[in-house]
Formats: sequence, structure tokens, C-alpha cells
Amino acid sequence: MGTVIGNLNDPRLQYDYQNREHGTVKPDTKREPFQWVSEVAYKNIHRIVARGYDTTELVESGYGIGDVLFIDYQARIPLIEETKMLNYVMIMSLEDGLSSPAAISRIVASSKSLLTQAAGASILAFGHAYGAYSAFGNMLDTYLSMAEKEGKTMEEIAEILVKENINSEALGVSNLMLKDPAAKRMFARAEKLGVAEKYIAFTKEIVKAAQKISKEPVDLDMLGATGATMMDLGFSPEATWAVLAVSRAFGAGAHYCEEVEREEPRRLGQALTPKEDYDGPEDRPVPTLEERKKTVRPAQSHTPEEWKKAFDEKQKLKGTGWSIEEEIEDPRRKI
Amino acid sequence: MDRKPLFRRKTAISYKTEEKTVLRGYDLSELAEEGYSFCDALFVLFQGRIPTKKEEEMLQYETAEFLEHSMSPSAASAFAVISGRPDLPAAVAASVMTFGGAHGPGAAHGYMMHKYIERARVEKKSLEEMGKILVDEYMDAGLAVMGIGQPQHTDGDPRAEPTHIKHEELGVGGVYLELQRSIEKHFNERRKKEGRSYVAVNMIGAGNTALAELGFSPNAAWCIGCVCRGFSCAAHALFSMKKGRAWAASKREPMVQMLDLSMIKYIGPEDREVPSQEERQEYANKQKEEGEYKKWVL
Repeated sequence: MGTVIGNLNDPRLQYDYQNREHGTVKPDTKREPFQWVSEVAYKNIHRIVARGYDTTELVESGYGIGDVLFIDYQARIPLIEETKMLNYVMIMSLEDGLSSPAAISRIVASSKSLLTQAAGASILAFGHAYGAYSAFGNMLDTYLSMAEKEGKTMEEIAEILVKENINSEALGVSNLMLKDPAAKRMFARAEKLGVAEKYIAFTKEIVKAAQKISKEPVDLDMLGATGATMMDLGFSPEATWAVLAVSRAFGAGAHYCEEVEREEPRRLGQALTPKEDYDGPEDRPVPTLEERKKTVRPAQSHTPEEWKKAFDEKQKLKGTGWSIEEEIEDPRRKI
Repeated sequence: MDRKPLFRRKTAISYKTEEKTVLRGYDLSELAEEGYSFCDALFVLFQGRIPTKKEEEMLQYETAEFLEHSMSPSAASAFAVISGRPDLPAAVAASVMTFGGAHGPGAAHGYMMHKYIERARVEKKSLEEMGKILVDEYMDAGLAVMGIGQPQHTDGDPRAEPTHIKHEELGVGGVYLELQRSIEKHFNERRKKEGRSYVAVNMIGAGNTALAELGFSPNAAWCIGCVCRGFSCAAHALFSMKKGRAWAASKREPMVQMLDLSMIKYIGPEDREVPSQEERQEYANKQKEEGEYKKWVL
């Protein structure tokens, strides 16, 4: 190609853009061809096999959904007591009234979408505050491994954990279950079934430590109860996150059904947003394209000081994302 | 902590106070304490009733077998989504959302069954007769008869016929099973007459029929089947997250990866020069007039 397009002959470019090859990349015959690799399951024409067990043989032998969850996630047949406990936790996770997953499911349903879109979307409600099982479980693991390295007792490390995480949504201790006994009953059931292990013990220490330093009454909440119980059943923090979010998606499916049954679908442009709820810039005239050249200001800063000033200014307008601070890993931190 | 309702709706499903969460009148914690299973709770959720033990057993059977199906569109989407390393729920949500008109069309099968059972009632025909009518109407119209055939298990889904048998064994059979059996019989009789091969019932035909018989509405049954699969897709995504390569395109892996450049086969328009802005208007007009682009429009 003779004609140079835009900057595509700039000498700083890493290769010659004028003479790049056309067409797709030939199949790589030097390596094994692509296959779906899985440790979890395979199937052929006549079998479906999870972790070595034929799933039809499993159900014909009387294994149920809880058992297959242990097989898929942990590659083992669970004890009867473990399956009972998992059933208990899943029942407690099935429904939570009109909380985030149900609300999301209903909003998707109101657009006249398929049930699977609504139930799937409800899973997205599980983040690092609502249903923060990954954050909770990884926090327990981090401090337990710290205790082991530093030779601290569970009680000592629980106090450190609480001091460092007292305001975390993933603490598993809060004022949410002061009148509802369900969380504590779950631990009692786990103890009765003989499946309570170190995570429940540690979480109990966390509760005690939090109660010592909290200014308001706090107790074990459902995040702490279900998270610790699932981990004592051998589920990783991420597996716990997934299993419980999916358990709730059944409930979200029922909310989808009810929304469709009881409410009218919502149309594009139908919902109004009252001006009294608006606190953005005052109504103002749109500048002409001519005026634009004179009046608009560019976003660029040329010194760190200028950048900081602009940064603070940008935070004043909500909905821009400038007030959100997300933690990223600090490479200087020694683990 | 602000505990105001997030969302206001009249609901017959549940309520939650500071003291308890109540599902269809039952305190959730009491249900768990009493020793009911998750499958029992699904009956309470979708039907507002405690099931018989046999019904619960049938649902245990079905949910446990629905759960894992190795590589299907749902698991493939979980792998694809997690390759970008979002939070795990994104991959799980995507897997559940994969279920539609082709992959596990459970609700549609349920509505088809309802329609023809109602016609049997109104037209005073037996379900056996109605199965033949359904097959003929669908096949005459060139439509696929739902609940039959599976693209991977070409000799019949290994779960399907055992599900029918369990359905009968547990004594939970009724109108749905009778109609479904008739559909399968007449479908294959017609194919035989046409010199075509036998096609077996699939998990929609077997599983959804049993769920309908257990009292689940078409959408509730669909929900159960599809959401169950979310459990295993999450396991597949976790495997990829913990033991696989992000981006799924590494050249360092001994096996060609899912998103290796060599996996792309392009069948679109030939490479062509980008017109300059000066040429653009004339070029675009010519393209519209010639209309060759229309064969590529999606």
C-alpha cells in the first residue's frame, strides 16, 4: 500500500504498518490441538462423568444435588452429615426477601426478558459487600496462615483481624442478626452434626473480638455463619461464593415469575426521574459548536500538582467515578 | 446500618424482618432445623408446599443429574468469561444466561405440553392421540419437536431414559409423562416411515416432563434446570481461574489455547483499503448502490 494513513508511518511504531501481512494465522501444528481441558468433568456419547463418577450411576445410587456439589468442587463423596449441613446452608441461602438478587431479577424481568437472563443477572449481586464469601473466606485464610507463621493463638489473631477489619463489609460480624437467631443456629447445627472445624472456631473468636471493641452491639451475621460453615465443609472461598450465589438464583427465579405475573412490563422511556432527586449542575444552555472553541476547558494536567487539584475538583461531581477508590495490590507489601 | 427496603413490591414469596426470614409462611431457619432438604425448599419456593418424599426424591434425582454436563454452551461461556479474570459471579451468571431457545429450552417445552394437554381435554382426545397430533403438526410445519434429540449424545442422552424410568418407578407419573411418551413413540414411528433414523428423548423431554409432573410451572422448571447447571459451570470456571491461563492465548502452553490466533477462521469480505475522508462520501454511496454489503449484514 503506497498511501500513508494517519500516523501509520511514524518511526516510533514497533513494526512496518505499511507492509503488514493479510489473512489469518495458520493452524499451529507444532503444539497439541486445542481441547477443552477439565479436571471437573467429561462426557462422551453415552456417559457424563464428574470427577470420575458417572453422574447417571450417582443418581441411580441415590446421591442428590448436595452430594454432586461435593463431587464437582471437592472430588469426593461427602459424609452424610456433611450433605445434611450443606442442605441446611443452601436452604438458608435460598431466599432473602427483596434484597439485591431479587431486585435485579425483577428489574430484568420487567424488561420482558427470559427467565435465565434474570436468574443469571441475580448472581451478579454477589460482590465484595453483599454475599462477600470470597472476601470473607480469603480473609480467614490470610489471618489463619499469619497465626501459623507467627505462632499466635486463634484468639490473638482474631483480635488483630478485627482491629484491621472492623469496618469491613466482609467481617461476618455486624448488627444485622441481633434479633434473628438463624446465624448462631447454623453454627450450633454444624457442631451437633460434628462438621464444625477451624473456620467456625475462628469465626467465633472473631465475634468475641469484635464484641470487645465495637461501640455498638454486634454478633455473628449470615455472611460469617454461612461462609465459615461452608469452609469447614471443605469449600474454598470462591466455591462458597459460587454455590451460595447460585442457590439464591433459584429464589431469584421465583421473583422473576412473580414480577411477570403481577406487574406490567416497563417500556423504554417510561420511568421518570423526579427533578427533586437531582443535585447535578443547574440547567444551562448548550453552547453552539462555535462557542465550544472558546468556552470549553481540556482535562489535561501537566504537573502532579495540577493533576491533584483537578482530581479533587472532579470528585465533586458524582457519577463520574472519581470518588471511587478501589484497592489494588501493593507490590511493596510483603506477604 | 440502613435497613430500609431496597425495592417495594407486593410479594407472596417471602418477607424478612429483624427476627426471621419467612418463605411462603415457613421460617427458613425452622425448615433447615427440621431437616428438610434443599429440594424440599425448592417446592416451598416455587409451589408454596412441602412435597411428598417421592416427589422430593424425584427432584433430588433430577437436580443432581442436571448439575453437571461437562462441555455444553453454558460451560463454554463460563470458560470464556473467566479467561478475562472478572469476578467469578460474572462467569457463573453468563453460564446461566446461555440457556435459551436451543440450549435447554425447558419453558417452551412446558408450554407446548400445556397447550396439547388442554387440547386433549377440549377436543376430547386421549393423550396418546394428542401425542400423534402434536408430532404431525410440528413435523408438517417443519418445526423441531421439542424434547427429542441431543447433538452430542447421538444415541440418546444417557440421563434421559433413566429419568423416565425413575419417574415411573417413583409413581409420580401423570398426564405429562403419558403425553411425552406418546410424542416420542409417534415421532419415531413417523421418522421410520420416512426412512429416517431413531432419535431418542433428551433431558428436556425427560427432565422437564418430570418437573412438570412434580407441579413446577414451565418457568419454574426451567429455572431449576438452568440454575442447577450454574453450580457446575462455576466449578469449571474456578478450575480455569485457579489452574488455567488467563486470556487463554498463551504461546507457552504445550496445547494450542482457545483464543490462540490460529483458532480464528475468517470467512468475511476480503481485506480492502480504508477510503480516505475525502473519498468517503462517494465510496459509501457506491457501496450502498451496489448492495454487495447486504450479504454480510447480520
